Amino acid sequence: MVELLNLVYHCLVLALVVLGLAVVFGMLGVMNMAHGEFLMLGAFSAVTAQSAGLSPLWGVAIAIAVCGVVGWVVERLMIRHLYHRPFDTLLATWGLSILMREVIELFYGRGYQNVDMPFTGSVALLGVAYPSYRVLLMAVLVVLFAALALWYVRSPSGARIRAMVGNPTLAQAVGISTTRLATGAFVFGVCTAGVAGALLAPLVRVEPAMGLDYLLNSFFVLVVGGLGSLAGLAAGTGMIGGTQVVISNLFDQTSGYLAVLAVSLLFLWLKPNGLIARR
Amino acid sequence: MAERTSGPSGQEQAGPAQAGAGSSPESGRQGAGRQDGVLQPTAARSRSRRGIGRDVAAWIVLAVALLSVPGVMDEFFAYELGLYLLFGIVAQGIALAWGRAGFLPLGQALFFGLGAYLACYVLPSGGILATTAGLLLCVLAPALLAYGVARLVFARRHESGPYFALITLALVMFGFQLANQWSSVTGGFNGISGVPVPFDLDRYSNYYYLVVAATLASTALVAWLLRTPLGTLWAAIAQNENRLQFFGFATDRLKAWAFAVSAGLGGLAGALFAGHQGIVTPQASSVVLSAEFVIWAAVGGRRSPYGALLGAVVIGILSTYLRDHFAYWEIVIAVVFIVVVMRFPDGILGLLQGLGRVVTRRRPSAPAKTPEAGVTAPDPAYRREAAPATLRYDDVVVRQGSVRILNGLHLVLDRPGLHCVIGPNGAGKTSSFNVLTGRLPLIGGHLAFQGRRVDGYRADAMARLGVGRKFQIPSVFAELTVADNLRIAQWANRARRRDLLRMATRDWTSETMARMHREFPFLAEVAHRPAGAISQGQRQMLEFAMTAITEPVLYLLDEPCAGLSVDETRHLSAVIQATVREAGAAALVVEHDMSAVESLADSVYVLHQGRLLAQGSFEDIRGNPEVRAVYAGGQK
Repeated sequence: MVELLNLVYHCLVLALVVLGLAVVFGMLGVMNMAHGEFLMLGAFSAVTAQSAGLSPLWGVAIAIAVCGVVGWVVERLMIRHLYHRPFDTLLATWGLSILMREVIELFYGRGYQNVDMPFTGSVALLGVAYPSYRVLLMAVLVVLFAALALWYVRSPSGARIRAMVGNPTLAQAVGISTTRLATGAFVFGVCTAGVAGALLAPLVRVEPAMGLDYLLNSFFVLVVGGLGSLAGLAAGTGMIGGTQVVISNLFDQTSGYLAVLAVSLLFLWLKPNGLIARR
Repeated sequence: MAERTSGPSGQEQAGPAQAGAGSSPESGRQGAGRQDGVLQPTAARSRSRRGIGRDVAAWIVLAVALLSVPGVMDEFFAYELGLYLLFGIVAQGIALAWGRAGFLPLGQALFFGLGAYLACYVLPSGGILATTAGLLLCVLAPALLAYGVARLVFARRHESGPYFALITLALVMFGFQLANQWSSVTGGFNGISGVPVPFDLDRYSNYYYLVVAATLASTALVAWLLRTPLGTLWAAIAQNENRLQFFGFATDRLKAWAFAVSAGLGGLAGALFAGHQGIVTPQASSVVLSAEFVIWAAVGGRRSPYGALLGAVVIGILSTYLRDHFAYWEIVIAVVFIVVVMRFPDGILGLLQGLGRVVTRRRPSAPAKTPEAGVTAPDPAYRREAAPATLRYDDVVVRQGSVRILNGLHLVLDRPGLHCVIGPNGAGKTSSFNVLTGRLPLIGGHLAFQGRRVDGYRADAMARLGVGRKFQIPSVFAELTVADNLRIAQWANRARRRDLLRMATRDWTSETMARMHREFPFLAEVAHRPAGAISQGQRQMLEFAMTAITEPVLYLLDEPCAGLSVDETRHLSAVIQATVREAGAAALVVEHDMSAVESLADSVYVLHQGRLLAQGSFEDIRGNPEVRAVYAGGQK
């Protein structure tokens, strides 16, 4: 039972991490290599909140503010100029990831940071005692995803976004400001990463170099799931998260990583558009 | 592009390039080619020879400079420099893959580390022969691994995309974890220490010369590869991989070769690194080192082996000295890297070259005439069989989303000559081409070409069977010269693997090539301009010329005269007609202009809503009431 809960927890968290990367890649065609570093920024927001004597949950607010500002500046100064040069965005954001890592290292040092659980204890769930912070996290994520899906399908902004993904030129022609939408998408994407970092900070290893793992796992999900649909995101998350948890439990972490790497390679080879392609 | 890139060529490679013209088996087999070959010293040939001269000169300068370091500076400096020369070799591999072939390997430390760890096991034992064999293994194992990975990732794509870069990053992460955890083999976190120096050299004195030899060999290899036809094809891949596949090149293999070479260089550097440092730790296969390799290649200049080497040596040495004294150093490097990526794609070397041109006011070499004379190229395999084209669409279904684009298309073509495909917009004309050339998935039905089932064949496989395609919007290699564009078409489906490594292949020509130059005299005038810089009309003609030069059995021409003036349309139509007829080939031509259809077509196929509505002579079609109903009298 605990295994099942672990699996669900792992997949929900993974989905949150992937969300931002998928939005930015799906909408702007920009593979944001600094995605993991924005998550790291979120985690360090929780560290900062704690060292200021606040609950680490304040880190969520700080993360949104910090990632929002940094994301906006980056979009203005970097991403916007490189929309039609996909390789250069890849490299420039990769350079950005190094820059962000180095800056944080300068302030906080290279070592691990410790973030306390906002609250301890456990609740009985499906007949087993499960840490209450994790339960809360899962509940928040379920609500968040449901709200997002509803917003995407029902709201005017969601429609605009879908229009832009479907045909940016036409969207522009009918009066949708795609530049503003693109800025918004990028800022939204990096903010979700920041929130993920802040929420996860008490549960994971927090250090300046933590971002890469999250980037790679998100990338695996995109490869397996396919771009452009929520269903693909869910399918990819299930596949990668499931493989990772199961293999890691059976063997060890490295085997789990090797397994998802192998699955991704297989998909790139045999099903390059992923499980659920946009078209 | 290929002409501009400068770099040296090892003497051993320069030799066959100049002597090979008359001695290749192709030209030997073909008497006529041999005679043409006598007329060699054309402008293009002497120009490329001049380029090779520059290459050799640069290489000699590098050799002299590196060899004099221990005397001019001191042995300890030489020892330190050696490390960055080794890193430079890895960066040269990146320059080849990324700067030339256009796909970005972000995890080169995987191969570097693999070479280094392997060296710990295979290098210490034995004499010169065994050590050399061991060194070879350290090169081949990473190359093989890279080849396999690239084949997997690139198999079903016609662009490089970000996925490859991320997969290489994921691989190096795995390598790093493995190096840390597989302690029995790698020594875990502490690594393997006490690695002896191969060939019984002295680590702090004469080992430097082995490193220099490797550096010079790597520089020569990369510079030579960039000059070969293969190097031109790599540049073409970076610009328009899709087009190259329609010429029958299996671009996934070509890219895999490039990646294998770059990984092999990584392995070589890693193996020498083990002897140089005496210790190999997981840091040798880390993400951090991979990142530095890419930064060095980018900042130094990714277009040439010299730029990459320069980047590794300059930035590397600066880092060693400044890292500890200047807290913001890593931040400065990251910012410099971002600026280079955004503003200076050719790096320091590009800036220096630009500066050099300003100072000496040397203009780019004057345009020369394209080689009329050359070595006759061998025929493509499909020409030797000389069977007339037969094509069958059997109940073909293609779907895009919920829309059926082709809805049970039956179409049979079994005669040579020109056959027009007409139909209203959305009838499925272009889609019928796309499904035949593997660009749309076949949902139902069958395709047959020359009696062979070709369901789901890739674009390059169809091209190798003799299907030549020209697109509605002309698709050429925009940054390559017109001459190189034509050359690529000339190599298509004719050049075997070893031909792609011979300079003589650059001089290949054929009757069709000569004919296209006669029909389109402008091709010679603009031969040395980039294909992206000529007019749209000229590009249409260039693309047709390229298609024709591959001498296909079946032409697929999608509105070949789109965007041309009346005169140009008449000219190109006449050329198409004459070329196809005289070759005994068949052509399917999508055309909207009914007067053009009337003058061109031996027969007409009318498509409507994804099916064949009618076929027959132009008169039959004109009299057909169903066709009239579809067009509703709306003749264009």
